Amino acid sequence: MFSIIKAAVGGLTALCRVNGHQQGLLHGHLKVLAAGLKTRDIPPDHSDVVLPDRRKLKFVNKMPNFKNAKKEMKNLKDIQGPATTANAFTKGEFAIVAMGGGYLHWGHIEMIRLTINRKMDPKTTFARWRVNGPYKPVTRKGLGMRMGGGKGAIDQYVTPVRYGRFIVEVGGKVELGEIQRIMTEVAQKLPFKAKVFSRASLAAFQKKHADMEQNNQNPWTFKEITLGNMLGIRKVLSPKDLCHNGRFAGKFHLPWRV
Amino acid sequence: MAATLCRILLPKQGWLPFTQCVRHGSKAVTRHKRPLHFLKQKLMSVTRYIPPPRPAPPGAYPRQTIRDQEDDPFTILVKKKMKSVFQESKMIAVVQNSGSTADEMILLKYKLHKHGITVKFFPNQVVRSFLKDSTYSNMAPLFIGHTVLFISKEPKVKEMLSSLRTSRHMLLLGACIDNTLLSAQGVVSYSKLPSVAVVHGELVSGLTLLTSQTAAMLQHHPAQLSALLQQHVKQQSSEGAPKAQEAT
Repeated sequence: MFSIIKAAVGGLTALCRVNGHQQGLLHGHLKVLAAGLKTRDIPPDHSDVVLPDRRKLKFVNKMPNFKNAKKEMKNLKDIQGPATTANAFTKGEFAIVAMGGGYLHWGHIEMIRLTINRKMDPKTTFARWRVNGPYKPVTRKGLGMRMGGGKGAIDQYVTPVRYGRFIVEVGGKVELGEIQRIMTEVAQKLPFKAKVFSRASLAAFQKKHADMEQNNQNPWTFKEITLGNMLGIRKVLSPKDLCHNGRFAGKFHLPWRV
Repeated sequence: MAATLCRILLPKQGWLPFTQCVRHGSKAVTRHKRPLHFLKQKLMSVTRYIPPPRPAPPGAYPRQTIRDQEDDPFTILVKKKMKSVFQESKMIAVVQNSGSTADEMILLKYKLHKHGITVKFFPNQVVRSFLKDSTYSNMAPLFIGHTVLFISKEPKVKEMLSSLRTSRHMLLLGACIDNTLLSAQGVVSYSKLPSVAVVHGELVSGLTLLTSQTAAMLQHHPAQLSALLQQHVKQQSSEGAPKAQEAT
């Protein structure tokens, strides 16, 4: 209460000063309150963002709609090495990016869908899948069954994911700070290492790796040695090593390698 | 030759297949990283990433562009003081202070104060910027490291040197005495000179010697004087006669 009166009288004194009437009595006994200016960042301009009609993540089928399901071989190559598709932004601004290979189950996909749909604000945000529904059959023998007797029945379908593949893309009239918590929460639950990137941070990440490759002070590179088959080293290398140049160990990415 | 013969003649004892069947099965474990072959480990460590040397941190080297310190009011004040010091004093000695303790410094100050010499400390940067614009610009190279100024209105070099001799950590670099820049050796030789009054006296005595001799000669007996003059004329004529003959 007192402060309000003080502020009011302070305003009065300020007015008096403006008019040129110096009131010595008031001036001497009151502490004149000076208002400072606070500069804030200009908020980002989202005027050009067009939100799609369906902003939430779609439901994904648990299994593909095959007439006769066929058992497949393990084919672990579908999680090794870097992703060649869905490794760049399309419409969104932020994405969960896989930092290693692995298989997404329907359960993982459902977890992502429920978490993001529940926590994001559909008025300002939209989310899109960047992975297909589970299509690769995984067979398993029933519990307590004796070994032998051929390949087991199809247990579930999975989605293979390679390093650098986008899982979910999020965009709209939001900033990273608003959406980051939800996305990291999802990324931590995935069966491989995953990270949340924005367009800028992904470009910076890729540039950092390119710079590392450019500024490597080691005269011996993996590529030269393997191409030249120095000391017969190809004996212990797999054909995949020739194209990955030692940057991958199976499904794992080795970020310290160039 | 012998080897080829042996190979042909002797029967084959054993046969090794050229191609060996190696099974590459069961690599289904994807949970962990599979152990690397030892040669591949070596290859990975040989071809590891070596980052470029780190650049020097910012502020490690002095700035390329020297900022103008004219705006700093403290610098202006110090410069004013320096100006008055340089105008008033006849002896300005620059001494390097290589780690003398406070006690030693107090003792030295006390000794110098007896002879009317004061000890002054000025920041080197300010001194250099002051000297750059003044007539004492040749003194600038002396101001490197910890430097101390000894200042007195009279050029009391002997006293200063005697008090400096006792303090081990103070080293005389040079001095400006009576608007003359002297090195440390020059200061020592300056101190060996006699005082101005003595030199003046010598000069005056040298000048008065001739006149006094003339006066004394005039006071002698006139006969002696006339003899001297005759001799002088003789000498002049003997010298002048050959010259006259040559002229004619």
